[in-house]
Amino acid sequence: MKGMNNQILRVELDKEKTSIVKIPDSILEKYLGGRGLGIKLLMDYLPPKIDPLSPKNIMIFATGPFGGTSVPTNGRFSLVTKSPLTNGIFYSNSGGSFAISMKKCGFDGIMIEGTLSNPGYVLIDDKETVSIKDAKTLWGLDTENSLKKLKELEGERIHCLMIGPAGENQVKIAAIMNDASRAFGRGGVGAVMGSKNLKAIVVNNGTKKVEVDNKELLQKYVHMALDKFKVVPITRSSLPKFGTSALVNVINVLGMFPINNFQRGYDEKAALVSGEEINRKLFQGDEGCFACPIRCGRLTKAGEMTGKGPEYESVWALGPNLGIYDLITVAQANYMCNQLGVDTISCGGSIACAMELQQNGMLDKKELTFGNESVLINLIRSIALKKGIGAEIGEGSAYLAKKYNSYETAMQVKGLELPAYDPRGAIGHALGYATSNRGGCHLTGYMAALEIFAAPKKIDRFMVGGKPDLLALKQNQKATEDSLVICVFAGWALGLDYYARFLKSITGIEFDVITLTQIGERIYTLEKLFNIREGLTKKDDTLPIRFLNASLKEGSSKDHVVPLENMLNQFYTVRNWDNEGIPTEKLLDRLKIEH
Amino acid sequence: MVIDQSIYEVFRKIGKHLVRHGYNTSHSGNISIRSGGKIYIKRRAAMLGDLSFEDLVECSLTEEDSGSLIASTELGVHRAIYLNTDAMAVIHAHNPYCVVLSLIEDEITCIDAEGFALYKKIPIIDVKIPAGAYYTSIEVPKVLKNYPFVIVRGHGIFAKGMTLEDALQYVTGAEQSAKIRYLTLLTGKPLLRDLSQEGDFSDW
Repeated sequence: MKGMNNQILRVELDKEKTSIVKIPDSILEKYLGGRGLGIKLLMDYLPPKIDPLSPKNIMIFATGPFGGTSVPTNGRFSLVTKSPLTNGIFYSNSGGSFAISMKKCGFDGIMIEGTLSNPGYVLIDDKETVSIKDAKTLWGLDTENSLKKLKELEGERIHCLMIGPAGENQVKIAAIMNDASRAFGRGGVGAVMGSKNLKAIVVNNGTKKVEVDNKELLQKYVHMALDKFKVVPITRSSLPKFGTSALVNVINVLGMFPINNFQRGYDEKAALVSGEEINRKLFQGDEGCFACPIRCGRLTKAGEMTGKGPEYESVWALGPNLGIYDLITVAQANYMCNQLGVDTISCGGSIACAMELQQNGMLDKKELTFGNESVLINLIRSIALKKGIGAEIGEGSAYLAKKYNSYETAMQVKGLELPAYDPRGAIGHALGYATSNRGGCHLTGYMAALEIFAAPKKIDRFMVGGKPDLLALKQNQKATEDSLVICVFAGWALGLDYYARFLKSITGIEFDVITLTQIGERIYTLEKLFNIREGLTKKDDTLPIRFLNASLKEGSSKDHVVPLENMLNQFYTVRNWDNEGIPTEKLLDRLKIEH
Repeated sequence: MVIDQSIYEVFRKIGKHLVRHGYNTSHSGNISIRSGGKIYIKRRAAMLGDLSFEDLVECSLTEEDSGSLIASTELGVHRAIYLNTDAMAVIHAHNPYCVVLSLIEDEITCIDAEGFALYKKIPIIDVKIPAGAYYTSIEVPKVLKNYPFVIVRGHGIFAKGMTLEDALQYVTGAEQSAKIRYLTLLTGKPLLRDLSQEGDFSDW
């Protein structure tokens, strides 16, 4: 298919063997690339019910048909694997320039299997040659120093995916860092890479051109799209000016900014860590991914430390969710997570869980008090190094809360810690958390777009009617976007009508909005089948009980709980899943999924 | 299933707006949403501008059911739109300026900046019998796969959206663009700036 190389690189680490897997057009037309191609390959290659940290687990990094073209925000790619945190499907998305370099080396993706006997890294160059190299001198280094060392070894033009000490120690909330500052953050994917003794994947900047069927037509659509980026306030000014932390004040005013492990939803002090404050106190410059006109990334300086971020979710997770409002501390904690390769959201969520356990007398660690900012940096280090209480926190909040006999204290779904929107303030968003295939995630079907940001139009955030239907549609659309692959923020200006036109001009194949939506439905359904295969059931499509029976006592979202059961049954009906959440045979036939 | 009070409130607000602003007569037009795998649609012959709770009818999304005894005459078009497009809400209205232009043009090119930025053009289709669901249920969804709205020549507009409010903006936006085009044509003067000529938008 034009726009793709029709091949991925297969690396069998235990055999130190590499080969090429050809991907036929018929698969690409059904799954596109990125997340869709990832789940298809995972279903085909991964044996059922393996331990995610065993050599048998597979990691698939894949770009899509937009990658390397002139489509705005096309520099992203997906990772699909089985998560050690959720024991289910995990898809993650990252930006930067790695994906384009990989594609220009001739590969649409990389599939990693097996385990190296000693620490190593994979090097891919422009001539489709691949080598596995010794990483003894890199093992133990943080991500910044790893990148520095790898550039010394392999040249300045490389791009790297790497783990820090947290990944090496197989911490279940470890991330994979992308050029040391971006991340495949969630789901413990860094631990999977660590379990393979794989310190890094390094790609030399490729030179192959991506074939486009009708460049003139694509350019016309790209110009129209860029005009839209200029007129939509979120892509024109909010995100470029404040980054994602523009959300802090907006979500706080709605009373759904989680404070102290979701015990409250509003705090006047939240403004101290807002996007405006980051600009005033930390901001050094902006930064963008490959081919991105938005440039939401923040280059910052906090005290003597410099780095990137913090993003909205990180600000919240390492700040107000722990009762901490000192921006310098929050930013330094964020830098520390990036250097050690720790997921900021799960890190904050798990520490918050520990603090609430301590608050309730379930955990005897007096220093773990909400608001005690002095413990944060050392705590993150102990998580990454699996030392003391850090070793327990690094297993994730579900493990921690269960161990201390207070499971309701874990703010997670399917084992994945929740992000920075209290679900009691937007119940479609809440249903999204409960039914996301990868666990507690806001991006899988971002209902906040409708319920908070009125995109395309505002819908009452507390009403039930129509929400399951809208969520299913948004989940399908997002699965498509993640498979093309394009940034979630492009969606503020564009939509599937633009994406269908881009895709048609790149591939020469007729795609329309409906075809793309159906591809998304196919991907979402296949992910669900994966989870069922791995043993997840209807009982996993739920929320922490706090959100179902205890309302917030102050702020604009007070006195509401999530009416989950009713919505969940409707959601299954809308999706053509049976009462237990299992896709029907009729649906699988319609979507042409083999079963 | 009991109809959600909040759904009724949305129907009431949108119905009132359509009639108050002249998009429909007292009893014409119909609106619906897709919810819980069902269609909720205005009752046949109910006053769109003054809907009561009982004027909302629940119908099957996939097949004919007894709801069709009392549901809007154009239920079949709504159902066909839901089954063949990504619509989550549908409005059918009789926008006067859109209908007028549909009688003299084959598509409405937006010459106002907002209409051009948002829609570029409003497609028009001919249907053998424009009213009722028989022919429109075949032809309308074909266009709505790729456009937010379509005008059935001499009859009215069908608009889809993520929500009823979303579809309402398409209905009102189309009418605004049609009105500006119609009034501009009336002046008989040439346009000093024609956005639609500033690029090739024939495939949009």
